[in-house]
Amino acid sequence: MKKFDLELVVGIFLLIGILSIGYLSVKLGNLDLTGKRGYTIHAEFEKAGGIKPGAVVEIAGVEVGSIKNIRLNNNAALIELTLDDTVKIYEDAIASIKTKGLIGEKFIQITPGGSEKLLSTGGKIRDTESAVDIEELISKFVFGKV
Amino acid sequence: MKKSPFSLVLCTIIAGISLACFPLSADAGEPTDQVKETVDAVVKILSDKELKKPEKEKERRAKIRQTVDRRFDFEEMAKRSLSSHWKDQTLAEKKEFVALYADLLENRYIRGIERYENEKFVYYDERVDGEYAMVKTKIVDKKGLSTPVEYRIQKKKDRWEVYDIVIEGVSLVNNYRTQFAQIIRSSSYNDLVKRLREKVNK
Repeated sequence: MKKFDLELVVGIFLLIGILSIGYLSVKLGNLDLTGKRGYTIHAEFEKAGGIKPGAVVEIAGVEVGSIKNIRLNNNAALIELTLDDTVKIYEDAIASIKTKGLIGEKFIQITPGGSEKLLSTGGKIRDTESAVDIEELISKFVFGKV
Repeated sequence: MKKSPFSLVLCTIIAGISLACFPLSADAGEPTDQVKETVDAVVKILSDKELKKPEKEKERRAKIRQTVDRRFDFEEMAKRSLSSHWKDQTLAEKKEFVALYADLLENRYIRGIERYENEKFVYYDERVDGEYAMVKTKIVDKKGLSTPVEYRIQKKKDRWEVYDIVIEGVSLVNNYRTQFAQIIRSSSYNDLVKRLREKVNK
């Protein structure tokens, strides 16, 4: 009887151990590099304008997430954004790449929409504004005067 | 035998050129066709010498408005511009707002369109994503200066209707969305309507 009890205890202990490891790996798997949880959505931009993974995503100047990944898709920049779970983005939101100050770092600004459909993981912000190319604008202004 | 490498190179070049040229026309699908149809119709009105006379200005403007109305979904644009505040308004208020918004755009943009001087419209790309599409165009003026204009369109029944225009990378709806939100936050929706009315009646 005594031997049986010991085996049972070891078995239960092992089971708890495996469950803990499983829980831990799921929890860790959800974490991205910046250590934030959340959900991921996409946005396609005509020009990424040198924005980098890890850059901030803001709504009304408040940080709500970050850029997870940037890749080329169909000659456009497909940016993956990780957003905090508490932030709700509607389907008609507009994402713009902005610069802090005139030559500061780039970030993504989301102007919230008001449609009925909420974006969930894997959703896509369809309406975007690419980074404004200041050099291009200056050259246009210069040549426009000729 | 000596000739064949040369002809191969020639063939490749020809194939390359034709590939480079044809996608432009082959890419043009329904959304581009429908946008083009509207733009062409407006250009036709603008080029009409009879309508250019000063006494016909009103008639001309009405005709342009009519043509644009058919392609542009002003209700959708107004809704997107008001974003989260749209839901708070009553049906009558929404209707009034859409009318004001359309008038605002007319005042603001038709005057610009009327300065048309044989600019060329180039349709160079189209992207369709389910019931949404994007038509990328360039307006090239006489000096060869080009301005990128992007039409964001949405399929409603069997028609493609414009819900946003992005000029030089700046979205019209986003511009108004930011401004409207600011006005509503600092004062009220009624104040926004009042301001719009003033702008329209100017």
